[in-house]
Amino acid sequence: MAGPFNPELHVDLKRFGAKDLDMCMNCGTCTTICPMSEDSGGGFPRRVIRLVQTGQQKKLESSLDPWMCYFCGDCTLNCPRNANPAEVMMASRRYLTSRYDFTGLASLFYRNPLTEIIAIVLVGLFITALFVFLHGPMVLHRVELNTFAPVKWVELGDWIMAGTLSFFLLAGAVRMTWWTLGRRDMLRVSPMIFIRQIPTFFAHLFTQKRWARCGSHPSLIRWIKHLLLVSGYLSMLTLVLILLRWFQTDHVYPFYYPQRLWGYYATVALLYPTGDFIVSRLRRKEPIHFFTEASDWIFLVMLFLTALTGIMVNVFRVNGFPMATYIIYVIHLAIAVPMLVVEVPFSKWSHIMYRPLSIYLAGVKKAVADSTGKGSDAQALEPAAAA
Amino acid sequence: MDRMNQSETERCGNQPASEPRVGVYICRCGGNISDVVDTDHVAEVCKLIPGVTTAKVHTFMCSDPGQQTIIDDIRQEKLDRVVVASCSPFLHELTFRGAVMRGKLNAYLYEHVNIREQCSWAHKHDPRGATAKAIALISAAVGKVRHSRPLEKIRLANNQRALIVGGGPAGMKAAADLAACGLSVLLVERSNRLGGKLASPQRMFPTGAASGEILSKLESDMRSTGRVEVLLSSEITRVGGFVGNFDVTIHGPLGPSGSMTDTNVSFGAIIMATGFQPYVPHDGEFLFGRHPAVMTTVALQEALAAAPEGKMLKVNGHEIRRVAFIHCVGSRQVEGVHQPGTDGRLNKHCSRVCCTTVLNQALQIRSRFADTRVYDLYQDIRAYGRGHEQYYTDASRAGVVFFRYHGDEPPAVTAEKDASLHIRVKDYLSWGETLEIEVDLLVLAVGMTPGPCEQIVDQLKLPRGEDGFLQEIHPKLRPVEISVNGVLLAGTAQAPMNLQETLAAAGAAAVKARSMLVKQHVELNPYVAQVDANLCEGLGQCVAECQYDGALKLIETSRNGRTVKMAEVNPGLCVGCGACVAVCPNRAINVNGWRLDQYDEMVDGLVRELVPA
Ligand SMILES: Cc1cc2nc3c(=O)[nH]c(=O)nc-3n(C[C@H](O)[C@H](O)[C@H](O)COP(=O)(O)OP(=O)(O)OC[C@H]3O[C@@H](n4cnc5c(N)ncnc54)[C@H](O)[C@@H]3O)c2cc1C
Ligand code: SF4
Ligand code: SF4
Ligand code: SF4
Repeated sequence: MAGPFNPELHVDLKRFGAKDLDMCMNCGTCTTICPMSEDSGGGFPRRVIRLVQTGQQKKLESSLDPWMCYFCGDCTLNCPRNANPAEVMMASRRYLTSRYDFTGLASLFYRNPLTEIIAIVLVGLFITALFVFLHGPMVLHRVELNTFAPVKWVELGDWIMAGTLSFFLLAGAVRMTWWTLGRRDMLRVSPMIFIRQIPTFFAHLFTQKRWARCGSHPSLIRWIKHLLLVSGYLSMLTLVLILLRWFQTDHVYPFYYPQRLWGYYATVALLYPTGDFIVSRLRRKEPIHFFTEASDWIFLVMLFLTALTGIMVNVFRVNGFPMATYIIYVIHLAIAVPMLVVEVPFSKWSHIMYRPLSIYLAGVKKAVADSTGKGSDAQALEPAAAA
Repeated sequence: MDRMNQSETERCGNQPASEPRVGVYICRCGGNISDVVDTDHVAEVCKLIPGVTTAKVHTFMCSDPGQQTIIDDIRQEKLDRVVVASCSPFLHELTFRGAVMRGKLNAYLYEHVNIREQCSWAHKHDPRGATAKAIALISAAVGKVRHSRPLEKIRLANNQRALIVGGGPAGMKAAADLAACGLSVLLVERSNRLGGKLASPQRMFPTGAASGEILSKLESDMRSTGRVEVLLSSEITRVGGFVGNFDVTIHGPLGPSGSMTDTNVSFGAIIMATGFQPYVPHDGEFLFGRHPAVMTTVALQEALAAAPEGKMLKVNGHEIRRVAFIHCVGSRQVEGVHQPGTDGRLNKHCSRVCCTTVLNQALQIRSRFADTRVYDLYQDIRAYGRGHEQYYTDASRAGVVFFRYHGDEPPAVTAEKDASLHIRVKDYLSWGETLEIEVDLLVLAVGMTPGPCEQIVDQLKLPRGEDGFLQEIHPKLRPVEISVNGVLLAGTAQAPMNLQETLAAAGAAAVKARSMLVKQHVELNPYVAQVDANLCEGLGQCVAECQYDGALKLIETSRNGRTVKMAEVNPGLCVGCGACVAVCPNRAINVNGWRLDQYDEMVDGLVRELVPA
């Protein structure tokens, strides 16, 4: 039984981008078309749309379906009512992200993009202020970045930031797990099941391999671009969080030296896909690019600018422009830090966590269902007895 | 053989003066018949039937050359009887009667045999059997036609005035159209105002027009003809007669001072425009009548007209935050699930207008009252008319939430403590899950049940369909006629219709009525009972058997100077059913065209053995 229904849920989802959701007449075409739906057993996207229409908030919160969709847009192309089911899936991911986040910030940012911009600007100003007031001596006859911004302080800041972000992200992950595994029911799941599924999590974190199967022809290329982006992003994180001492040097190594090569790779891997995505969204050729929410723009533009300013630091440093290097370095951090602080736990970037986690949780649910022999526990995975 | 010869001699008195000359024509129907029935063989054998002068085969008898063959043979072969063996008489009996008439023979000296549906199609795996059956049927028809007598259509003086019962949209439209043709019309309305259901104000689908505007246009169209007399608060208390001569008693404010009196009037045709009655849910159906927040779409219509503008719909002073509609209340009822009406009948029909009515009302609520949420519980959305689907699309866009239930498991409604209602619905859009909704108002989309016209229906013996509505002769071919000649159907008296269909039907009924009323005389089929004065002893058994008031009565007449009783037929009222024929011990009453001696001949014809040389 579904419990009393929240009549405002569909109104709410519209604020997260599902603008045409009410047009859905539940014909089921989208579910038939969806390449991901059948083996995820979710009956989505219609099932998700129906949960929203009928205001079944609890069920939506415990559903993994939205994360099983990789936004190929096939459903939207085939929907006879222009209800844009793919966008409903996207909106429900945004909605879920905001529900997993206990602070309420995600919800605020998604519903009101202005607040997100303000938050980014504030954090950016804070970073700038830190440098304006606390920077080290500025050597002007040659580039000494490590004197201007001593690596150990920067590294400390990195770690503080990473710790905070991880805390919020993990809190979200815990809420997601708690809800999707049936709240209190979760406590009955044997720890072995959780452990055995861990490889799934990492496999999907690094490859997003399900995506390659999603949708008609252009998606393989998109998946490769996305993979490139992920590798660039993970490279960036590794270089600044773990290898910062090696990465931020004043010594100019030869071009082929791994420190420089890796940096260039990360730059290309970030600039090319983001630039490409920005262009496609502007062109609106494919259905997934028909509607771009503010949060998508902020995410893409910030990432692009981060990479751009990053490479500029490198250019000025290698060519010996001290003042330009210091200024662009500050700008670089004033973009990168707010992007990470705001986007990773509270906005679009969080999907890097939730996507693989959802596949992990689906695996857990299936294992639980298999072990108890009760199909009904795996509600989100197995299609309900269709009428 | 003996028996046959004997009966033949017995009936000598009935034999036509000279031995008739019958022409038999067998149609191949382009192979439809001849692929199975050996038509050439049939023609050869038919020549052996007593009385047959010529027997011919043609590929398409109904074609012009086919018909011309008949006409030529009547002249050249001096035929005085014709039989065509072809397809169903529904298709071509009149065609060949026409040909016979053009050959200057009486049209009733013709018999039609169906050897396609009844032989080649029915027995396609048994060609020999089919051929034998064709011969037997033709032989019977020849026997019958030999004893046919020339008949004429019955002509009766026509009362060139129409009675329209019911002053709703259908009645007014039919009256206006008839009067526009120059005919005089009396419109009788039982209530004290014209307009039927249009009299209560509403915005109507599919145009959004106000009902009042449509109504005043209909009324002015009707009044401006100057030939329609309207009687309000009046009713038909008695009706009898037949086409061209209906005889009606009207009870109404007709006296000099407007006092209620009875008047008798005659009419040539009657149009039934008695409309529908909205279904009234029985006590407790979805809490109807027990809970103040449960009403019908009819009541909501008035509530919407009266509601003050604002953020939220207000009904009787209560703010309605959430309203639910339930479709098909009193329609599409299911045995064992729904409670039958007082007549023991379930309304199994779909009322056809209620779906779009709900969408229309839901949309009005959503567009006028932004904070009132609307839920719609349906079985199917039957928004079938032009422009109706748009209401569904618009209602979806306006955020109406739809739920789909099955007829055998209607939603369950219970009252909550706080004056709201709790609805449980097994929702087939949610894979059959049971969902729960709370609302402040529940609107039941009531269907249509037949309008009140028992008196007229009983007295004129008008047939009703299984759904209780008046039933047309043929749903496609004769959609506004009813089996009582001279009575026509207009609008929802016949079946659930929306206004557009109602007015189209009323227009059609008016045209049909006009074609009857413009003639000075009415012509009726001659297949009515006829009494043989020589044989009738005035026993009156036939009169007792007859189902049709006034069709048959005993009269006193003088025979050989003595006053005797005898049966007399009123050809206008007799339908030729033959019930009287069956009970007369003297064989003194017969139905023209189907007399008993013809039946005897047909039976003989069926068993006649014909062996070609
Ligand atoms: C809630 C509701 C909303 C609707 N909304 C729409 C809409 O928006 N658009 C649309 O196209 N259609 C609509 N319809 C359908 C529309 O109302 C009908 O098509 C139309 O009223 C039918 O007209 P009628 O003349 O056949 O019958 P009625 O309107 O029922 O009129 C019959 C008349 O005959 C009189 N009468 C009955 N019996 C006798 C008798 N024995 N003697 C004398 N008089 C008699 C009655 O008093 C009445 O005046 C709606 C119907 C309902 C129930
Ligand atoms: S979203 Fe479109 S395709 Fe999917 S069920 Fe709704 S109307 Fe059909
Ligand atoms: S966007 Fe693609 S994966 Fe997502 S629901 Fe639609 S068809 Fe399925
Ligand atoms: S029109 Fe719609 S509500 Fe009315 S009986 Fe038919 S299906 Fe039911």
